[in-house]
Amino acid sequence: MKRLLSGILNGLGEIWGHKLRSLLTICCVMLGVASMVVTTGFMEGFFSGWERSLQEQGGVEKITGSPRALPERQAPLAPASRGFTLDDAEALRALVPTLDVISPEIDFPGARLSRGSRRHEVRIQGVTNSIFEINRYEIARGRMFSALDFADRANVIILGSEVVRECFAPGEDPLGRYLDVAGQPYLVIGVLQHYERLWGTYNTLQWKNKIAFVPITTMATKLRPTDRLNWLNMKARDLSLLRESVDAASNVLAQQHRGLIDFTVTTNEQQLASFSSTKAGFVIGGSAIAGVSLLVSGIGIMNLMLASINERVREIGIRKAVGATPFNIFSQFVAEAVTLSLIGGVAGVGVAVGAIKLLGTVLPPGSAPLLAPSAFVVGFAFSVTAGVLAGIYPAIQAAKLDPIEALRYE
Amino acid sequence: MSAPAPEVLRLERVGKRYPMGDTVVDALVDASFTLREGEFMAILGPSGSGKSTLMHILGFLDSPSTGQVFFDGCPVASLSERQRAHVRAEKIGFVFQAFNLLPRLTVRANVALPLSYHGSPPADAEARIDRALALVDMTHRAHHRPGELSGGQRQRVAIARALVNEPRILLADEPTGNLDTKTAAAILDLFKELNRLGRTIVVVTHSSEIAGHFRRQLHVRDGRVTEGGAA
Ligand SMILES: Nc1ncnc2c1ncn2[C@@H]1O[C@H](COP(=O)(O)OP(=O)(O)OP(=O)(O)O)[C@@H](O)[C@H]1O
Ligand SMILES: [Mg+2]
Repeated sequence: MKRLLSGILNGLGEIWGHKLRSLLTICCVMLGVASMVVTTGFMEGFFSGWERSLQEQGGVEKITGSPRALPERQAPLAPASRGFTLDDAEALRALVPTLDVISPEIDFPGARLSRGSRRHEVRIQGVTNSIFEINRYEIARGRMFSALDFADRANVIILGSEVVRECFAPGEDPLGRYLDVAGQPYLVIGVLQHYERLWGTYNTLQWKNKIAFVPITTMATKLRPTDRLNWLNMKARDLSLLRESVDAASNVLAQQHRGLIDFTVTTNEQQLASFSSTKAGFVIGGSAIAGVSLLVSGIGIMNLMLASINERVREIGIRKAVGATPFNIFSQFVAEAVTLSLIGGVAGVGVAVGAIKLLGTVLPPGSAPLLAPSAFVVGFAFSVTAGVLAGIYPAIQAAKLDPIEALRYE
Repeated sequence: MSAPAPEVLRLERVGKRYPMGDTVVDALVDASFTLREGEFMAILGPSGSGKSTLMHILGFLDSPSTGQVFFDGCPVASLSERQRAHVRAEKIGFVFQAFNLLPRLTVRANVALPLSYHGSPPADAEARIDRALALVDMTHRAHHRPGELSGGQRQRVAIARALVNEPRILLADEPTGNLDTKTAAAILDLFKELNRLGRTIVVVTHSSEIAGHFRRQLHVRDGRVTEGGAA
């Protein structure tokens, strides 16, 4: 133990004795570790963003039901196709217990809103309160729709933040005020939270702000007199019930539609799968980059250690002459390599933290790297391993030197 | 006459041959002699005759091309490199002709070096270092580096380093070559004192005057070793 300590102190002395060479070695390791941590940080940042957008679209438990044209073989039956209706929603609610949310939606794209001299075109959806759960909307101020609103087909509206910005003056409170929708006055009862996730200057969640909701009954009778739904979205109680729920919902809908397959039932699984495979690809690519940088730093250490041995042949000869065993010499050089790469590893982690902080302020959010604690541990462990492995070969070379030949070396 | 002292080192027809391009150099030819416990021996010979080569073989630093060396009756060739290193660290003190101090270490650290390779570092290590430095009168330069010393001072540090382990055998290759007569005489007295205390001492020298102080003399000429009285 005492010997090990004196070996390390000795190593530190040697490191200090060759400032430039030691600095170069430390830089090798430092850059290797820093590039690994920053690369991993970039991937973390990228994927956490992606994961969040997936969440914002309803997460993986969401099941999307949407109408579509009949398949080829059923084409002649087109006139009998009646699309999704509220009855379908009721049937699902009654017959598929593994679904905990069912959200019928009627779209009104490009609806004209006006208020005084302000005009704005926006997508209005006729919805039930399920929309807030299934698509993850939160009401910042005001309230959701009431049972009375649905029963009365009331002229009430909930606005996205972008609609508020377009239709109201800054600081003006939209709650309790009226907006004209297709010539009719609608009372503003709620305002949605503002959603933002920047990718560069582009807000990837802007679609959640450019929206307004009215009760589905109001939409179906006043704004778009129809009984056809544009969407019939569902959410499984649990991810493990997803497949089962999809099958059950498809069967119920097929039966409701008397066998006409004029709908599709899809999940986010596909997106999740492509997410996972892309992530795996990036992790492999990123690891390859990190591996190469560690290899380079390992080669750097080895090269500098070999040079250092060349320069210190006489020293090795002297040490052996006064009684150093080959193992003494070997451990001296390994200790030096390990000490150097430890210093380099610590410096690399420091540089990585600095770089990630700096990039965080310079790069737009969403493309900036994140501090991944695991990356530090891995980067650090790898640097030390690289140091040890790269130090072993030169240390063996040093241990093998013959004392008298080493002493003759000029 | 009492029984002869036990043998420490025995050489049997030891030769050392260096290949030099097409030809070979025979630095040592058929050297055979026995060194016994407590001997005080000088090795004499002209430059290039093979004295240092012989000393390196005696000091476990080099191995012979032919013949055998025995240490305490055991063939040195059968020892592993590690075992030989332990003998160097604990039983042999070697003063090199070229000093061979580590330039980056202080005088004190240089003297301490053999102790750090000791199997079990002695408890009185610090005291031993102080004593060794005092013996060669270098205490006042303990914190200097070899580059800041004169040739004679470096030689004295090299001697202190060889003594710090209190070795059984002291091998010194021209330890007084760079010293004035007064200092050389002091070193010689030191060696005599150590020998009186039981150490086996072998010294290479050019000076027949110094050689005259030794009880036994070996002559080396063109690699051949002969036992002899005065030159
Ligand atoms: N590694 C080597 N390669 C080739 N020749 C060598 C080697 N080492 C020693 N020699 C040769 O062996 C011979 C003896 O050398 P050695 O150093 O033993 O002489 P020396 O008696 O100590 O001389 P000096 O008094 O000058 O120190 C010399 O001719 C030298 O050139
Ligand atoms: Mg010589």
